Amino acid sequence: MSDIERDFQKELEDELHRVLDPMSAMPIPPRRSAGKRIAARTVLGGAGAALTIKLLTGVAVAAAAVTVAGAATTGSINPAVWGQQVSQYVADCKAKLADGQHGIGDCVSDFSNQHGQGVASDARHQGSGSGSTNGHGNNSNANDHAKNKNRGPQTKGVSNQHDPTDPAVHATVTVSPQP
Amino acid sequence: MASIEEPPFEAKPPAESYEPGSEADFERLYRNSYRRILGTLITLLRDRTTAEDCAQETYERAFRRWKDWRPEASAEAWLHRIAINVAISDRRHQRLRQAGELVRRLGRPAPGSDPSAVAERSDLFQAMKKLPAKQAAALVLRHYHGYSNREIAAALGVPEQTVASRLAAARQHLQAVLGRR
Repeated sequence: MSDIERDFQKELEDELHRVLDPMSAMPIPPRRSAGKRIAARTVLGGAGAALTIKLLTGVAVAAAAVTVAGAATTGSINPAVWGQQVSQYVADCKAKLADGQHGIGDCVSDFSNQHGQGVASDARHQGSGSGSTNGHGNNSNANDHAKNKNRGPQTKGVSNQHDPTDPAVHATVTVSPQP
Repeated sequence: MASIEEPPFEAKPPAESYEPGSEADFERLYRNSYRRILGTLITLLRDRTTAEDCAQETYERAFRRWKDWRPEASAEAWLHRIAINVAISDRRHQRLRQAGELVRRLGRPAPGSDPSAVAERSDLFQAMKKLPAKQAAALVLRHYHGYSNREIAAALGVPEQTVASRLAAARQHLQAVLGRR
């Protein structure tokens, strides 16, 4: 080994100690726990991640289903709306009764049918998707609108609507006079 | 971060006996060897933060295989072998992680006189970081930790002649870079 080589090795060792010794004298940190990282990987990665995503998706779908069902039933996201509509309509029916006339069943039945058919129509549209066609290039929604024009403003796109006076389906409701 | 008080650093301590699979013994091995493993990694990697991460990764990997370790081999040599593999792997991913590392370093408060700043100012260290990882590892094990070529060969799982070749090549490269020839 030449003197140059020996000097260089000595310089190398001195430099390594000069730089590394202060760092080596610093406090030793606590050992990182592999268990925690493995647990985190189990939840956030691999099969754990897939399960988590499925659970979150299930919760989101359930929440959306409840919202849509509520809206379809009441005509509004707020479930109190349908109840308020019914109360208002019953009050209106009572007000329309002439003196000595009893029963608002026909009147209420008419309103009930309108609402039921409207909900059914909406449900059909949602089920088939907006803008769906019937295979002949005709939009089913457009057909419904055309039918509605022929039936007037209160008959909303239905073919099997019951007559308000049909006694087989809707029994007359008797309401006692208000005090 | 809480820390464990340790006696002053001494290179190449007498070999201790450890029982494979014993968590208490692994903790003792951690405290006995951490500084030397960190020293090796600082030489191989670009900064102290990365070296500390790799040191922890080294001990995590070692702990997973701790029950399979055989006492015939030096535990610290075994750890060095794992550490060097971790460092080589980190070097491969270095470019991908540069952006994230920069953000993390910017987020760290300056701790005053950082010893790693000395390394960053050292021409020799900057030249060593550009060496192939296996050459730099041989250099630090030989000239800092004081291992013999035979011990390095056992630690790295290569023939002794390979260690001698790596050392010669590393020294030659450093001399050329530093203009000592």
